[in-house]
Order: sequence, then structure tokens, then C-alpha cells
Amino acid sequence: MTILFVAFLACAGASALAGALMPRQGRVLASAVLLIGASTFALVLAGRVVSTGSDFTWSRSTLLPLGGLAIRLSPLGALFVILSGLVAAASSLYWIGYAHHSLNARSAATAFCLFVLGLLAVPMAGNVTTFLFAWELMALSSLALVAHDHARRRDAIAAARWYAVMTQGGAVAITFSLAGLAAHAHSTSFVRIATGATSLTSGAASTFFLLALVGFASKSGAVPLHVWLPRAHAEAPGPVSALMSGAMVNLGIYGIILVGRVLLHGGEQWWWLVVSAVGGVTAIVGALYAATSKDVKRLLAYSTSDNMGLVMMALGASGLTLATGHPAVAALALVTALVLVVNHSLFKSTLFFAAGSVHAATHSRNMDELGGLARVMPVTALTFLAGTLAVSAIPPLNGFTGEWLLFQSLLHALGAHGVAATITVTLAVAAVALTGGLTIIAFVKAYGITFLGRGRSASALEAHEAGPTMRVAASLTALACLVTGVAPYAVIGVVNRALDNGPNSPVAGWVTLRLTPLTGALTPLYLSAALAGAVILVVAWRALVTRASGYARVATLEPWGSGRHNQTARMQYTATSFGEPIMRVFDDVLRPDHDVDVSHVVESRYYLEHISYRSANEDIVERALYRPLARSLDWWARHTRAIANGSVHRYLAYGLVALVIILVVVQ
Amino acid sequence: MSLSYVSLLDLAVVVVMVTAALTLWRQSLAAAVKALAVQGVGLAAVAVILGAHRHDLVLVGVGGLVLVIKAVAAPWLIGRVVAHDHAAREASPLINVPASLVGAGVLTLLAFAATRDVVALVGTPAGRLIPFGVAIVLIGFFSMVVRRRAVSQIVGLLTIDNGIALTAFLGTSGVPLVVELGVTLDVLLAVVVLQVLVAQLQRHFNVHDLDQLRDLHD
Amino acid sequence: MTPSIGGGVASALQLLWVLLAGPLALGLMRKVRSRLEGREGASVLQPLRDLRKLSTKQRTRPTDSTWVFAAAPVVLVASAVVAAAFSPLVTLSALLATRVDFVAILFVLLLGSVSLLLGALDTGTAFAGMGASRAAMVGAMVEPALLVAILAMSLGVGTSNLSRLVGVGVTTSTLAGPARILALVSFFIAILAETGRLPVDNPATHLELTMIHEAMVLEYAGPDLALVTLGESARLVLLLGLFANLALPWGIALGTGALALVGGLLAVSIKVGLVAVAVSVFEVTTAKIRLFRIPELLAGAFLLGVLSVISAVALR
Repeated sequence: MTILFVAFLACAGASALAGALMPRQGRVLASAVLLIGASTFALVLAGRVVSTGSDFTWSRSTLLPLGGLAIRLSPLGALFVILSGLVAAASSLYWIGYAHHSLNARSAATAFCLFVLGLLAVPMAGNVTTFLFAWELMALSSLALVAHDHARRRDAIAAARWYAVMTQGGAVAITFSLAGLAAHAHSTSFVRIATGATSLTSGAASTFFLLALVGFASKSGAVPLHVWLPRAHAEAPGPVSALMSGAMVNLGIYGIILVGRVLLHGGEQWWWLVVSAVGGVTAIVGALYAATSKDVKRLLAYSTSDNMGLVMMALGASGLTLATGHPAVAALALVTALVLVVNHSLFKSTLFFAAGSVHAATHSRNMDELGGLARVMPVTALTFLAGTLAVSAIPPLNGFTGEWLLFQSLLHALGAHGVAATITVTLAVAAVALTGGLTIIAFVKAYGITFLGRGRSASALEAHEAGPTMRVAASLTALACLVTGVAPYAVIGVVNRALDNGPNSPVAGWVTLRLTPLTGALTPLYLSAALAGAVILVVAWRALVTRASGYARVATLEPWGSGRHNQTARMQYTATSFGEPIMRVFDDVLRPDHDVDVSHVVESRYYLEHISYRSANEDIVERALYRPLARSLDWWARHTRAIANGSVHRYLAYGLVALVIILVVVQ
Repeated sequence: MSLSYVSLLDLAVVVVMVTAALTLWRQSLAAAVKALAVQGVGLAAVAVILGAHRHDLVLVGVGGLVLVIKAVAAPWLIGRVVAHDHAAREASPLINVPASLVGAGVLTLLAFAATRDVVALVGTPAGRLIPFGVAIVLIGFFSMVVRRRAVSQIVGLLTIDNGIALTAFLGTSGVPLVVELGVTLDVLLAVVVLQVLVAQLQRHFNVHDLDQLRDLHD
Repeated sequence: MTPSIGGGVASALQLLWVLLAGPLALGLMRKVRSRLEGREGASVLQPLRDLRKLSTKQRTRPTDSTWVFAAAPVVLVASAVVAAAFSPLVTLSALLATRVDFVAILFVLLLGSVSLLLGALDTGTAFAGMGASRAAMVGAMVEPALLVAILAMSLGVGTSNLSRLVGVGVTTSTLAGPARILALVSFFIAILAETGRLPVDNPATHLELTMIHEAMVLEYAGPDLALVTLGESARLVLLLGLFANLALPWGIALGTGALALVGGLLAVSIKVGLVAVAVSVFEVTTAKIRLFRIPELLAGAFLLGVLSVISAVALR
């Protein structure tokens, strides 16, 4: 297996070099092909770890300080490597076509390759140093990718700034947590930390867990640390958004499992109450903003937050039931969490691919300016439709089994006794149900307004289908959504092996998923077959009666406009108007900003000269929490400016004083 | 379907609970008063069922008293105020209806959590219904907090009282008749006073919203 | 239980039943309404005649529509019949009865709802967009109430399997627990909203601005409109049938014997007929509520669901 690992490293390194050194011609092609190679090697390696169930280890103590470079790929990590690898391979393929549009500069190509390397390396890490190194590689390279278009777009700078602050703040929290754990165990190795953590005091363990939770949950877009996500995921170029949403956010979940379950062995009940609560709030906030957003990529980004919230709810339910002594429910909920992660990776990368293609073709992400793209971009539209149905949990796509498992987990968690569990789980079901409905609004809007109806602007009317590799990449992930929807055991089986559930796995069965020892069964395969059969029968019926009626063709008519002829595309419902009812229902939560400006003709108030309407729907968390925070930071910065007046001597004096203080204190 | 003591009791308590939710749900004041009357019937039923089960004639008597006062007299008195009011609606509650309903749900969960020990302590089929009594008290309080209209306040007050009475019925082996009599008549007195007060307020100041009364203080 | 021939027959029977009972239920509800309003009203069979007439007409499509528009009615009907085939309507032992649960049925029905929403947006008109937007809002509010109600019912039984949920009422006498009653009330309100009945939507409206569901399907004609009507009515009787069987499971066939199936068929037809008449009577006495009061109604249903969950946990 070492040879696979070395081949992976070599390919990934070569791709970054190719990105940095090759001339413009062929640069992206070479990098992308090498990246696909690297992903493949990583996939094979991870696949072997999952199938054999034994860890792959590799270390070079000289390569990094503090414990050296240590790789330890466990089956759990391998699951995340497989996910990152699949999304990375598809994104690299997509990138080849996307590079005609953007993301072809030397720096961007290098950063893209390093980002993929980081994504694949994080779950492979076997000690704290390697983990943090890979984590930072991933964070910094993705930061460069978010900012790479800063010359053309001001929003990219703002997004990069938010992202930089949040990701580095999170990294600090993670570093403190892992460093503390390592100090306690006198080793940076995760294995040693796990054995050493049993002697931790409850307070210390809780502190380390909460610190890690802050860092990792922020990576997964948990409220209130999510504010960077809708900006960064929206501003990043197409394949990078897919990587961020399809692979990077997963690693936040991986981190929570790593610290909470592997290193700290499940910990205490209230940790998981916190995780559940954060997950519930995240899911609702994400779904609400997705339902009211008019920027298609921002919508997808908020939906990522929403889905990670669901994952956190499942994780929380798992930890909760484990701590209260219901291991069967805990196992089911953990499988659910990971199945949700896998499904999300597949459908969200599909959706971001399609949205990236739309952006490349129309130079717009504002759905109010799009429309009718299904006619000019049929393949892209179809892949987006698959993603839409998958994320809305509709059979026969893969989101459906995830949602079903989540409901079963919560149902059985509620059956387990305990006041705290009862309250959290009841609220969790409510949150899941509410987000389910809101997600359908968001994605019916995203697909319906962007791809159906008539084009609302010149750029939408003149759009062309995306390049072949972009179409292929999106189709492959869309197909994966369908296959894993019809045969979910393809995913669940891998998850079972990754969790080492053995023969008593909580969910199993190729044809019928059965919960053991709990009760519950579902057969997505037969259900999908029945749906397909029913569709064929109904189509046949319609064809029969159409033939019998004697009308040879379908009449194409101008649609009904209450007697008005010549309806224009501008009369259609837009994304804003489609989401307006929800905006009104949740007015008190969202507090949108509306402004109507009417000026009348001088002669009569009954004739309008000019009317302008402006609406802004800024994130309430950003407005209520981060604005005041930024303002107070700004105030402090202004008032502390006096001590930094530019004199070198003064700065040196500060250094000297600090040195003296340290000497005195240490003494 | 067996109409046993336990399922009858469950049903009666659920009726009281749902009517408490209804007073928050419906904006029409007439509907709230109707719900209150049904709530009184439910409460009386609880007392009668418990009394019959324990062969406690006094408790059955208390049930009859509750029926007269809370299901007939008090709603009738409040109903007279509503009947004189042209716009008998809770126009703009401080928290909108869906949010207050969600709030009621959360309060019920809280009541359930807070009374776990009490339920375990009492340990009777009636005892496990105590969370509902506490939840009704909380919902009544909540509706007094979020509703503006004076009539809504009275309805909230009566809901609180019903919740307390329900908790007392369920938790103890029976409230002494004297105590129950005193409490119930006190509430009736309060309703009479409030009814007169609200009617006077309407006549003199044309005020429905209690918040507007703040203008009177200087 | 392995898939059996008897189960297959039962499923086919249920599938045909919703297709036939749907239009008949519509006819019955209109008839009751007319009579209560002092009119003679059309025959109960009128919706079936309408369907036959529609199926001989020409299909139409708006100028800028795609395949989605044409596919939506098909998917709507397909999802409704698939959901019906595997639900405990006539018998507890339909095909896959042990392997499909309430949540699965709900999401299969959701496939139909979403396809109709997309079909509406595909027309590129303001009315259909408006209808879709409103229907999506109502749907988003219905789902929490529905799922919490399902959860509450499942809690008492320990599984969300529909046949078990219905069957538990046949075999035991603990049917009318407060948790179940609350959940059923919540479920019923959600059904009224989901199927676009009063007070949420007026199925008989002819004014575009007041429409929710009708606005979405304005562009359909001929066989497509027949499919939309058929699909919607099949969903209605499926949901009413589920409600009736959950509330009063008496008469439902346990196995798949011929006599039992006939008995189950009669039982479910009578029960759905009674519920349909009740809904119709209720509709005559009530007015459509404002669009933005709908969340209040469904929040109430949701609260009942939560109370039901609490009752189920507290009173077990």
C-alpha cells in the first residue's frame, strides 16, 4: 500500500509543479490529469483500507518538526478520503473545461492542486502536526482560490477577508484543542492521545472538545460561525465551490467525530446536546436563507450550511444516545450522519458544477436575470434537476434515504428515555421537517427560475451549453446520486465498514434496508422500479388516448395572461417574488430591508414618473452579531494606534520589555 | 376501544390542554371565550372522573362547582364584554400567532422537563398528567404576556387558574372543598371586577389595548 | 413477508381504487356542497365524464415550455398510484407493506408535488409562477406538521411502518389515546392544506388572483389536464383513506383473501365517503382564510403534533 501512497504524493506534487511551471497552453490539462491520477491513487488506497479494515501507516520524522510527518489512514478517515477523492476527480475533470472561462492563471492552478492535496491529506493525518499542516494547506490554498479573481470583482475581496478571519480563527481554536490534548498525552500521535485522554479531567476534556467544536463547526458552516460560507462558496470559481461544498465542509464533520468520538471516546451528554442544538439552528437558518436567496450559488452555499446542520443533528443524537446507554440507536445515528455527508457531497458537487456552468455561460448568478436555460443547456439543466430532487430528499435520488434514516434515528432516539433527549429530539424533528419544506422551496426556485420559463436577460438568451468535460463531470456525479439513491447500500455498506460495525451493522441490505436491532425497513429499489413502471404506464395511456383523439401533434399556444397578449419574460415570477411569501412569513426572523421610492409627476399625483424598489436580505447573524463586533474591534484598534507610532526604536523597546518580563516571570 | 378510567382522564386533560392552545391560536376573542368554556367543561370532567374513581363525593361536588363557575358563569360574563365590542379580535399581538404557538410548544416541553421528578414522586396514572397542568399555567402566563387586549388578559388569567386547579386535582388526593371553593369564588370575583372595569374602560376611553393605559398615568 | 401474488393483487386493487374513487369522491363532495347550498348539483359521476371528455381533446403546451411541462402530470399520477399501491388502504398485506413506511409514502407524494411546481414554472407566466410560489409556501408549512404527526403516531408503536400503525388499532384497544387523537387532528389539518381544500385553498375558484392550486395548472388542457385532475383526486382519497384507516381501522382486510379484499374495499370506500362528506360539510360552513393566515393554521397543527409527541412520551 505504501507504493499507492507514494504514487499519490508524487502525482499531487507533480500536478502542483505543472500548475506552477507549465506554459499557459496545456497547463490546466496537465495539472488536472495529474490530479485525477492522484485522486485515483488515494481512492484505491482508501478503498483497500476500508475493505481490509486495517490502518495504513507511513511516517517520516524528519519532514516536520514536533513529531514529524505521520500518516495513519484509519477506515473512518478512508471514508472521507474516498469522498474527497471522488469530488476532487470530478472537479479536476470539470476544471479542464472551466479553465476556458476562468481559473487558468499560474497561481490559481498551483493553489487548486494544493487545495486538493490538502483535502486528501487531512483525513490521512496520524498526528497533530500533520493534521494541522494539512488543515492549513487546505485553508490557505482555498483562500487564495476565493481571492483569485479579486482584480475583477470587489465581492471576492470581501469574501476572502471574511473567509480568512473565520478560517484562521477556527484554526487557532483547533490548534489549542489538539495541542492541549497532545500535551496531556505527551505525544502528538492520535493513537497515544486517544489512550491518554481517558485520564483527562471532565473540565479539561470539555474545554478541548468545545474548542475543537468551534473550529470544526465553523468549517462546516455552523451558525453563528457560518457567515464566511455563503460568501466564499458563492465567490469561488465553479470547481472550487464544488470542492469546498462537496469535500471541505465534510472535514469539519470529520474533525468533530475525530475529537469527540475517537480521541475523547464520546464524552459527556451535554456536549452532544450542544452539537444538536447548533445543528438545529444551523439547519433552519441555512434553509431560510436558501429559500429567500436570489443568487444561485449563495443559495447552494446556504443549503450546504443547512445540510451540515442536519448532519450535526444526527451526530448529536448519536452522542446523546451513546452517553445515555443506547448503543444501537447511537450506531444508527452515526451511520445516518455519515450517509448524509456522503449524499451531500455527491449532490452538492453536482449542483455547484451546474451552477458554475451557468455562471460561465451567462456571467450572472442572479436568478432574477436568468431563465429558460433548459433549452440552451439541456445537459446542465438535467444534472441540476437531479441535484434538486436529491437535495429535496425525493425518491429515487439519494437524499431520500438520508432523510429517511435521519427520521428513523430521531424516532428511535426519542424512544430512548431521558428528558434532555426528549426535548432536543422533538425540536430536532421539528427543525428537520421545517428545513425539508424550505429546501423544496429553495430548490424548486433555483431550478424553476434558472432553467425553466423564458430568459429574463440577453445573457440568458444567448447562453451556450457548457464544455464537454464540464458536462461529463456534472453528469457523473448526478449519475452517482441516482445510483446511490436506488441502491443506497452502496454507500451504507462502505459507511458500515468505515465505522467497523461488523456483522451487527445497524442498517443493512441491498434490496431492502433493514434496521437491526431496531425496527424499520425501506426498499428504495422496488420503490424506484414501481415509480418507473408507473411513469411508463401513464405515458403509454396518454399516447393511446392522444392517438385515439386523432390530433397528430401537441398544439403550441401563447400562455394565458388574463386576456393580455404579448406577455414578456419580465412578467414572469422571479426568484425574489417566488420567495416573497416565505420572506413575509418569516419577516420577524429575517428582517429584510425593503425600500420603495415613488416620485410623482408634478401635475398629478395619479401619474408616476419613476418608481424604484430595492430589497436587501442580509444575513441576520452577520448584522446582529458581527457588525457590532467589527465596530468595537475597530474602536479598539483606533485607540491602541497610539502605542504604534512608527518609531523603530519604540518597537525594539517593546521587544526588550517583553523579554525582560518573560525572564522575570519564568524566574 | 375501552373507555377505562385512565383513557377518560387522559382525554379530559387533553381537552383542557388543546383549549389552552386554542386561546393562543385563534385571534377572535369570541372563539377564545368559547374555548375557555370548553376548558371549564374539561376541567370539571377531570374532577368528576377523579372523584368517581376515588369514590370521593366531595371531589365530584367540586367538579359540579367548577362546571357552573368556569364553564358557564365566567365565560358568560366575559362574553358580554366581547359582545359589546365591535372589533372583537386580537388585532396585533406582541408576538405573531405562529411564533407564539411555537413558543407554547417549547413551554410545554419545558413543563414536561421540569416536572419529571414530581411525576415520579406521585406515581399514579393521574400524576403523570401533571406536566400538562404546569404547561397550561405557563401557556396562560405566556398569553397574558403577548396579548394586548384586556379580554385576552382575563382569558389568560382564567387559563392560569385552570392550570393550577388541574395540577391540584391531579397531584393531590383531592383539594379540601373549602380551599377549592375559596379559590374558585375568588377567581369569579376577579372576573366580575375585571369585566366591569373593561366595560367601563371601553365606554370612557374607548381603549382596548392595555398598553394604551400607560398614557393615563400622568 | 416476501412479495406474493396475493399482495400484488391487493396492490393492483388499491391502485385502481384510488384512480376510480378519486373522481367519485370529487363528485360526491361537489354534490354534497350543492345540496347544502340549495342547488341540485351535477351527478356524482360528473368528474369521471369530464375525464373521458378531456381525454379526447388535443394536448397543448405554452410556447416556451420544455419536457418538464409535459412530464409533470405523468409524474404526479405515477407518484400517487405508487404511494396508493403500497399503503394500507384495502388490506394490511399489500405488496411491500412491511418495507415501505409513512415517511416513504410522504416523500413519494412529494415527488408529485414538486413535479407540479416545476411544471408550473415551466410555463413562463405570472399566474403559474404565483400559484407555484404560494403552493410551495403552503407545502413548506405542511411538511413540519405532517412529519411531527407521523412521529407522534410512530412513537406509540415504535415504528413508522404504516401497516403496523394501522394494524395496531385493529389488534389492540389502546387506539384512542390522547397522543393518537392529537396526532390525527394535526394530520387532518395538514391533509386539508396539502390537498388544497378550504379553508386553505378554494378548489372551485375561477378568479386567478385567489387561486393557489388552480393557478398552477391553468396551462394544462386535454389529456394532461385529465391527468392533473386524476392525480390530485387520487392523492386526496389516498390521504383521506390513510386518515380514515388510522382513525378507524375497522373493516380493513388483514390478509389477501378474496373475501377479505372485497370487505376491505367496501370498508375503505364507505369510510372515505363519510370523511369526504364531512369535509364537504365543513367546507360549506367555512370561508377561505387569507393566504398569510395559513401559517397560523398550520402552526396550530404543528403545535398539536408537538403536544401529541409529548403525550406519547409522557403517557407511555
